[in-house]
Amino acid sequence: MKPDFWRIARSPVALGLLALAALLPLVLPGYYLHIATLTLVYAALATAWNLVGGLTGQISLAHSLFVGTGAMLASALLVHFGINMWLGALIAALLAAAMGIAIAFIDYRFRLGHLSFALITLAFAEMAELVVVGWDFLGGASGLYLPRDTGDLAAFQFGGLKGYFWLMLALAVGCILVNLAIVNAPLGYRLRAIRDNEDAAQALGVPLLRNKAIAMAISAALTSLIGTAYARSATFADPYMLASPVLTIEIVLIATVGGLGTAFGPLVGALLLVPLGEFLRGHFGGSLPGLHYFIYGACVVAVVLALPQGVGPALARLLRRRGVKDPKIAAGEKGPSRR
Amino acid sequence: MDILMQALVQGLLVGSTYGIVALGLGLIFSVSGVVNFAHGDFLAVALFLSSSLFAAFALDPYVSVFITLPVLLAAGALLYRLLIRPVIGGHMLMVIQLTLGLSLMLQNGLLMIYGGQPLRVPSIMETKLLIVGNVVMRWPLIVAFLVSLVLAALLFVMLARTDFGRSIRAVHQNAKAAALMGIDVARVRTQVFALGVGLLAIAGALIVPGTPLSPGMGLRYTVITLLVLVLGGMSNFAGILAGGVVIGLAEAIGTIYVTGILGMILPYLVFVVILLFRPAGLLGRAA
Repeated sequence: MKPDFWRIARSPVALGLLALAALLPLVLPGYYLHIATLTLVYAALATAWNLVGGLTGQISLAHSLFVGTGAMLASALLVHFGINMWLGALIAALLAAAMGIAIAFIDYRFRLGHLSFALITLAFAEMAELVVVGWDFLGGASGLYLPRDTGDLAAFQFGGLKGYFWLMLALAVGCILVNLAIVNAPLGYRLRAIRDNEDAAQALGVPLLRNKAIAMAISAALTSLIGTAYARSATFADPYMLASPVLTIEIVLIATVGGLGTAFGPLVGALLLVPLGEFLRGHFGGSLPGLHYFIYGACVVAVVLALPQGVGPALARLLRRRGVKDPKIAAGEKGPSRR
Repeated sequence: MDILMQALVQGLLVGSTYGIVALGLGLIFSVSGVVNFAHGDFLAVALFLSSSLFAAFALDPYVSVFITLPVLLAAGALLYRLLIRPVIGGHMLMVIQLTLGLSLMLQNGLLMIYGGQPLRVPSIMETKLLIVGNVVMRWPLIVAFLVSLVLAALLFVMLARTDFGRSIRAVHQNAKAAALMGIDVARVRTQVFALGVGLLAIAGALIVPGTPLSPGMGLRYTVITLLVLVLGGMSNFAGILAGGVVIGLAEAIGTIYVTGILGMILPYLVFVVILLFRPAGLLGRAA
């Protein structure tokens, strides 16, 4: 368990790739750096979602609620009360974790099935968007503009595009490490047991509520942090983007296309889908709005039909067949059993 | 008191159309276990089709339904044959995923064809009102309510009395046993997908008068339909109709009594509360 984590985290491949990624801002022009940053944001979000959606098998559609909490609450605290955004990010993350635990409790107390869980969380997300849009403190329909970014780290300002690239890289790596650590820890085994058969897991003495609540709290807090960072990088907290259930759908699509329940699948999904979506948007967004999402949707449909386990595990299999040992993807291959 | 009556009547009328839309989804779920997240987008397709037919031939939506119905029947059958059938029996998330991808395609296909400007389709009855006491009702809603009732009654008779209905119920109860009894399960499912999506053509004609059309409207209908379906207990068809009325009422009361956008929260709140205390649906028995 532990050695597995360190073997992957310290492997030359992983460290080399990370070093290469960290050097990207020095060579990439602005437009591409923006796409790379966005890719990292979605990779981090999908990886955080994966803790609940992939590893525990609970299809949470409430994650826009957590992104919205991080983005809108931390921004509102800064704009209205001048509260430092580091503190705001912490408050929002704690609140998001508390909401995650509450959702896990509701799920446990009322023994929701998969579908009911998905729909109740979707209802929470819809309500959250309406609360944000209807309440001026959180930005209302017009959103919140943040003060200009002067690169003051103490005020949660990271300077320009490069600073936010590194911030998002750190967040994405952090999420993946958390994911990897949990996959290889006893908690990960308990979560997978819950996913594969809840009743059997409980009969074997796996406490359902505690494990689900831990997974949900970690996932929610990470998601909220990413939300705060994203709002700060955009200097504008847009409720129609950051608190909208459509965002959750994007996250879920990326995680599933990449490979559910695997530590690196969501990263693979984000690397595939986000640049594709952005390039298509850049090329066709002006002339034919909608085309990029259309192709995006078609890709998702094609992947589900052709590679139902996701691209990540398929890639790992392909590499292994070619005789390439890629421990990081191979170890990540712990996708859900088909039911 | 008048306001309350108005809200109740409005909610009942609108809720009946939600019930019909959700019945289509419920039929599909009952024979295949598939929750189609593109359901609302197929409804949007039906609505935009009738707007095109009006723009091209000045056809009233109540007439153009005879053209949109076969189109959506075929779309439903193709949906099952081409997309759903290969992944059925896999992980539930895969099917949700697939239909979410399809939803993106439909929504943005509409955006590419029709652009983002809201459209309206007039109908002969759009502006006619029926006033009973102090309650004002729009005729299109009354027509929608009556047609929904008739459709629901026809569906119930079909399910209870015809061979097709019996084969649907057989596949619902146990697909394997149904296949052993000589029922062509794939064929029943194809027909039910066609029926469930085809119903949306009729629902579309009922909804379209006076409704502003935008390509993104499908997702909202999907969400409402799912709420209704779950409240109804997934495959309890009387429960689904009741669920439609409950959501319609919550929406009407919420928008009339709570000012601003917060009133729109009420349907979701009602949904969460009912689902927590009656997890098997409004009319369902606890498992």
